[in-house]
Amino acid sequence: MSGTISVTREESETVINIKGRFNFEMHSQFRAAYQEDTGGDKKGRRFVINLAGTEYIDSSALGMLLLLREEAGTNESDIEITNARPEIQKILETANFQRLFKIS
Amino acid sequence: MKILIVDDDRINGAILTRLLGREGHPVVIAHNGEDGVDMYHQEQPDLVLMDIRMPRMNGYDAARLIKESASDRFVPIIFLTAVTDEEGLAQCIDAGGDDFLTKPFNRTILQSKIEAMERIRQLHTELSNKKDLLEQHQDQLQQELEVGKHLFSNIVRAGNLLDAPCLKQWTSPLSLFNGDLLMASYNPAGGLHIMLGDFTGHGLSAAVGALPISEIFYDLTAQGFSIGDLVEKMNAKLLTVMPTRMFCASCLIEVDFRQKSLVVWNGGLPDVCIVDMEGKLVLKLPSDHLPLGITTMTRDDRKVRIFEMQENHRLFLHSDGLTEANNANNEMFGMERLEGFFDGRTPPDQLFEAILDGLKQFRGEAPQSDDISFLEVDFSQSNKTQAEESTHKTTKIIPPAPWEISFLFTAETIKNVDPLPTIINSVMSLQSPLGHREKIYTILAELFSNALDHGLLGLDTKTKKTPEGFILYYAQREERLAALEQGTIRLMLTHKPLSSMDNREIGGEIKISIEDSGPGFDHQNVQSILDGNMAHGGRGIALIRSMCRQLVYYGCGNRAEASYRWTYK
Repeated sequence: MSGTISVTREESETVINIKGRFNFEMHSQFRAAYQEDTGGDKKGRRFVINLAGTEYIDSSALGMLLLLREEAGTNESDIEITNARPEIQKILETANFQRLFKIS
Repeated sequence: MKILIVDDDRINGAILTRLLGREGHPVVIAHNGEDGVDMYHQEQPDLVLMDIRMPRMNGYDAARLIKESASDRFVPIIFLTAVTDEEGLAQCIDAGGDDFLTKPFNRTILQSKIEAMERIRQLHTELSNKKDLLEQHQDQLQQELEVGKHLFSNIVRAGNLLDAPCLKQWTSPLSLFNGDLLMASYNPAGGLHIMLGDFTGHGLSAAVGALPISEIFYDLTAQGFSIGDLVEKMNAKLLTVMPTRMFCASCLIEVDFRQKSLVVWNGGLPDVCIVDMEGKLVLKLPSDHLPLGITTMTRDDRKVRIFEMQENHRLFLHSDGLTEANNANNEMFGMERLEGFFDGRTPPDQLFEAILDGLKQFRGEAPQSDDISFLEVDFSQSNKTQAEESTHKTTKIIPPAPWEISFLFTAETIKNVDPLPTIINSVMSLQSPLGHREKIYTILAELFSNALDHGLLGLDTKTKKTPEGFILYYAQREERLAALEQGTIRLMLTHKPLSSMDNREIGGEIKISIEDSGPGFDHQNVQSILDGNMAHGGRGIALIRSMCRQLVYYGCGNRAEASYRWTYK
């Protein structure tokens, strides 16, 4: 069983809410969630990855976050990962993702 | 559509033949079950119309035989029946019939049933063709995977020293290809390099990244490069070859029994645990860095943790597949459960097996969801290096010849590169004294680090006397090296051949002369410490003495000359 993704879009911010298991099966769903807001002239947009309902995260999910970071402009990207439960927080810390993303 | 009619009633048969013939179907006819089966084999019809009550063999039995022999081929059988009771009709289906037609025959119904059967038959043929194609592909894929796996394991395992006496390892790949990469190899000075890498995902795509990584690991280790150099090279390689969403969480470890040092670089793997002689956890080394293959590296990203290696300690390393292994209730094994073993109740030498048993019991029948790797390094065994020369053996023998090479390194170079691999590679490519590489490297490494650490950086070996001092020593070293603005190290290597008259034994003598621009050091005192059987530090000079014919210090101790003899029979 994989998770579900919902997106809320505002003026300059896209919030991606991930519920359930965030793993490789979510690849196309996750990509579809941000794709229309990245690339070309869309730089400078803020992304919030809301993990409030995320139960599990695997290394493919970390890979997807890296892909979003790249498509949103790597170092200029403004991506925040929020509401991760402690176990997921630990996984993000082990990978030292706080150096690439804002984690709150 | 070729149709076989099996009916002992000749009038019925004639009516059907005419009806079907008008529709353009070729018809063959048999008058009892047995003949029907025979004719089915001879004529290979596309559809069978089968009466039930017939002499010699009834319709049910004939249908069963036909269906049995048809195997993959779909041959629809329509029963011709006068019965309309449920039981009778059910029996038709049970015997393998696909439909039934009640007498007397209605032309329109007959026609539409034949059309329906034709559609099913076509669908069946299409499906069966696709199934064949899929099976072919599957076979081909399996064969290619087998070949790939063979190549992969040969490349990745080339020169792997996982059977080194100080290592215990266990790995359980999820699929044919392991996305976890576990390697070990000795560097020329006898230090052991160990690497555990965990690529994103699992299976083939995760495993291909292992190829360039393993090549860099073995190659650079054999040349004497440090963990930091390896990490930097691997990261650069992965950045160029791997897609963005893939990376490699890795931990590299160097165990140097001679220097009594333990060097750890952890980027993205779970905490490395160090356990004492009572089996209690004394130290956890968390991931300090991003995994390999995500961003370009800065100086800080190369940073390693250096500790004094305690001989009665052990190190445990694992991939997250171990701590994230699930049981049937979807609970994870977890770091806490793992650390629970390090409470002093399990003897240290039984910990490895106890943890694997614990994992097995915890998981029960739950399916595995990631590659799992687990490794123990027993420091007390780490001096037992294999006698064998480095794995990248060369069989070429170069006749001894006189030569001389000299190097001059300034502060700028020393700050930014480790020149040792270059030096040893020059010696090896000029002379390649088989079986002596490790010793020559060790002598060079010791002389060079004496010149640098004590000559240029002014570090005091005595600092290393305690474990805390050991860490302090390397912290100071790093700090002073970064701040180094001037100073030179001059190195001269002179070789002269020393072969016996009959040329049965060839060899030579290498004179190594090294001079630093520092204020010199108290080499006489070092000798006295040596004689006093010191615990830490100062080991280097004793080591060089034990391997060289001669070691002499000149000047104020800032120039050393060592001579080393090699022979090859």
